[in-house]
Formats: sequence, structure tokens, C-alpha cells
Amino acid sequence: MNLEGEHSASEAGDTSTESVSPQKPASFFQERPPQVMKVAPQRLRRWTRRDLLLFGAGTIAAVGAGVALLPQTTLKRLGIIHENKDWPRKEWLLNKSLRIDDDVAEALYSRNRLVPTYTKSQITPLKNNYNGATPAPSYIPEWHLTLDGLASGLSVSLNIRTLLASFQVHEQVTRLVCVEGWSAIAWWAGFRFDDLLRAYSPMSHAKWARLESSVNLGPWGNPDLYYVSLDLSTARHQQTLLATHLNGKPLTVEHGAPLRLLVPVKLGLKNIKAITRITYTENEPADYWAKRGYSRYDGI
Amino acid sequence: MPHSTQLENERVATGTPESEAGVRVVRRHHLLVRFSHWLSVPILLGLILSGLSIYWASPVYKHKPDPLTGNVDPLADIGTWICAHVPGLHHYSSPPDWVYNHISLGPGMLAVALRLHWLCAYLFILNGLVFVTGLVKGGGWRSLLPRRTDLRDAAKMFWYYIGVPFAKLTRRSWMHPRFNTKYNALQRVAYFSVPVAGLLSVLTGWAIHKPMQLYWLTWIFGGYDKARVWHFWLICLFVLFVVPHVILVLADGWDTVRSMIVGWSTRGQRSENFSQ
Repeated sequence: MNLEGEHSASEAGDTSTESVSPQKPASFFQERPPQVMKVAPQRLRRWTRRDLLLFGAGTIAAVGAGVALLPQTTLKRLGIIHENKDWPRKEWLLNKSLRIDDDVAEALYSRNRLVPTYTKSQITPLKNNYNGATPAPSYIPEWHLTLDGLASGLSVSLNIRTLLASFQVHEQVTRLVCVEGWSAIAWWAGFRFDDLLRAYSPMSHAKWARLESSVNLGPWGNPDLYYVSLDLSTARHQQTLLATHLNGKPLTVEHGAPLRLLVPVKLGLKNIKAITRITYTENEPADYWAKRGYSRYDGI
Repeated sequence: MPHSTQLENERVATGTPESEAGVRVVRRHHLLVRFSHWLSVPILLGLILSGLSIYWASPVYKHKPDPLTGNVDPLADIGTWICAHVPGLHHYSSPPDWVYNHISLGPGMLAVALRLHWLCAYLFILNGLVFVTGLVKGGGWRSLLPRRTDLRDAAKMFWYYIGVPFAKLTRRSWMHPRFNTKYNALQRVAYFSVPVAGLLSVLTGWAIHKPMQLYWLTWIFGGYDKARVWHFWLICLFVLFVVPHVILVLADGWDTVRSMIVGWSTRGQRSENFSQ
């Protein structure tokens, strides 16, 4: 209980606390005179003891929560712990906060809201941020895109010439934002994911797309399948492209030749390069970076 | 909760019109203000620790790559310098990481840092709402409103604080400027700015967290990259506030510290017992 509670007790006839100095202020914004109370010393000591004890308990709880939530490596480096003391609910709690944030991102997303576009004079350099080694261009001649989970029940294989001949090419100059914090404005061209979805409609219950790149490499050049999940609502956004060109030229291997995803309403890590397969699914598919502790929806 | 018997005793004790046993105390901070004030300490600490780990992934401030190491981050340079010049740190395993290892969760922990940052950020927003509710319910917001004379009076107070240590050393009298408000002008400027800075931190945070859906917010702060710079400097502002805040509160005495825990103070006006 706080002073307010004790104060209302005084109005109920308890004379040990009493308010002095009620004065009418000149304006609504003017500082009110201090509220003076007369309290029995005994009672004041009791309040003080109670509040200080509560404060101490709160401090201990906060330190405990801090030690429980901070990463083990940080605590080990600081010499607070010497062995792994992770508790299972910690991951659950931190993932929960990640999920809440994803839900907020999903609530903020609107299919009709367009992201800002820029002029070509505002283009900034775009670095190759392949997490592992950049694949050798030898995969390109053999490259084709496989579509699975279609309404037809068939598996469709398309090469880049067919894709470019079938769909209208759109251009856009948009910002790509990386989870690391950097961003780049680039001039992209490609066809809309929405057009692909119309031409090869996914099975009726599909809500998700799983996009994968089998040519992706790990840090030592080892094959390392890259895969992202994308909700179909985002895939149908008119600025979600399957990009074939960057800055007016066909994509280079550094940027995911011959076909990459460009989804400016998502973090860069969803913008998968060198897509080799798209699978439509009813349930949320796995995601490369979500498996490594990042969020899954990644809407920005 | 007072016992009825205890209540009776107190009635007897204070029964006479001129109460000899009554202590006059002044209400200073609403319960919700006190609660959110202290809760902001661990939350801000979590935000700073995780925030600097996020910063590490792509520093806002960079210089040309160092010809030897390829380093572009001034904070890494500072770490290297510290390890080279501070005794006992010559064998530190990764000098460029020294700063990050000491005021963040550590380098290369982006995924972990992001999760902690979102957790703390949502708590920070909720805590801010509790703080504002406390200010409104307790009427404390009126004491924080800036006044026309604040800049001049704040300068006077600043000059006073600068002079205090010298006056103490030379045993000269050094008059505390007089005022009859809950806070002096410098306090008022600071205590008004900090919640505003908190609000701006939240807004710049959203501006860089959702630059597409909230593009108008990002635009207000001058675009994505500038919003990151704002966000970075706002947290520096918090640190710049906290250091003198803690020093001055401790220098002011136990009554001031206690008032943020128990809510009341035995001092009437601040200037009453200060200048003596």
C-alpha cells in the first residue's frame, strides 16, 4: 500500500495523517503547492521499513532476471558464471518476445501500402552480403526454377528465358534493409511474384511459400542449402519481385543470378538469391535464419 | 494495514489538537512514478547492452579501412588503444572487441541481442506508459513543465554546481540560487527532457524497425540512416543524463534518494535546507 491508500484512510477519520495547505491554483498548468501531511513517527518508520524492504526485494529480483536473461557467453566473460546454466524457459521467453514483435509486424503490414521509391540518382552501392562463399557462375547455364505445391499437383520446371518471355518486367528503385542495420537503394527489374502465382496457382489451402537456393555455399565453400519462408500475402504485394536485373544489367552471381527474390517489405535476409525451388505449403515452412535465433516473419 | 487496536493507540497519541508526535512530510513522487523510475534502470541497461551489440553488426560511424587490419570502426580503434596503453591489458585476447566486450553483450551476437532488445523495448514502452500515468495521477507533470525563465535559471544552477567543489575546497560560502518550486530550473530542464528523449528513442526505434510500414515516421527523422544516428545519440543522451543525475542525487542526501523509494520527503521546499 502507498501513501495514497493511507491518505484516504485519513479522510475516513484516522487523524494520524492529515493534509494541510489546500490552495486554489491560478491555472491548470501551474505547479500545485506541496502536499504536506502530518504522520505519526511510528507510522512513518513502518512505511519506510516496508518500502525499503520492497525496494530491496525488487533489486534482487531485477539482478536475478538480468543474470537469467543475459547470454551465457556474456556472463562467462564477465566471470559471473563458469559453466552453462541456461534454463529451458529462457529460450521460450525470448522467443515469445520475438513472436510478439513478429505479430506486431504482421499487423502493421498492408498489401495496399507501397514502400517508398527513389530516383535513380539516389542509388547507393549494394554490397555482396552472401553469408558464406559466393557460388561459382558455373551453375547458371544449368539453372532452372522448380515449382511445387501447385493446384495442378504437378511439379513445374522453368528456365530463365521462359520466365522472362512469360511475364511483364517491372522496374523499381527501392531500399533493401539488412537485419545488421545497413541499407542500400538499388534499381531492380523483374517480374511480379503475384504474376507467377496467377500463372501457376498454388494449391487451394496454401498460405506460405518456401523458397530455396540449392547453390548456396557455407563459409568454406561447402554446399549449404538456403531457405526462407514467405507468407503469400507478402508474396502478392505488387512490389514483391522475382528480380532478374540490377542497375539495368542482368544479375551477377554476387547478387543471385539469374533470379532472386526482392521483397522490400522484409529484411534483406528474406531476399533469397539464386532461387532454385519454390514450394507452396499450408503450414509455415522452416526458415534458415529463424533456425539461428532470428525472427521468422521479418516484416519491416 | 493498521490494526484496530494500534489505530486506537495512535488516536490516543494524537488526540490533542497540537500533536506532539506528528512529523510533517511532503508528498513527492506518485507510486507509479517511483515504480517506473526504478524499473527503467534494468530496462535501459538491457537496451544499451543489446543495442551496442546490434550497433556492432553495422557501425553507424566508420572511417576509411585501416590499411593493416581493414578495420573501419572507431570503437574498435578505442579498444585496441586501451589494450595497448592500459597496464594489465596487454595480453587481452581480442583488443578490437574490448569496448564491445565491456559495454555490450559482446560482438557477433546479433540474433541474441535483437531478441533481448525487442523484449526490453516493449517493456520500456509499457514502463513509459506507467510513468506518464503516475505523473498524471499524482499531478507531478506540472512540476516538469518548462517555464520561460528556465534557460537563464538553469544556467545559474549549472554555474552553482560547477562552483560547489571549489567552494568546498576553499571553504568559501557559495550561495544556492533561491527558488520555490519542486525542482530547480536545471532539474526541470533535465527531468522534462529525459521523458521526451525516451519518447524520441521509442519513435526512432520504430522508424528503424519498421521503415517500410511506418515510412512517414522514418521520413520525419530524415530517413533510415539518419534515424539510426538519432537513435544512437539519444541513448548517449541518457548516459550523459544518468551520470550527473546519480552524483547530484547522492550529493543531495538520503532524503532525496529515499523520496524516490517511499514517495515522501521531510523537506518542504528544496531550497530550505540547501544553502546552509
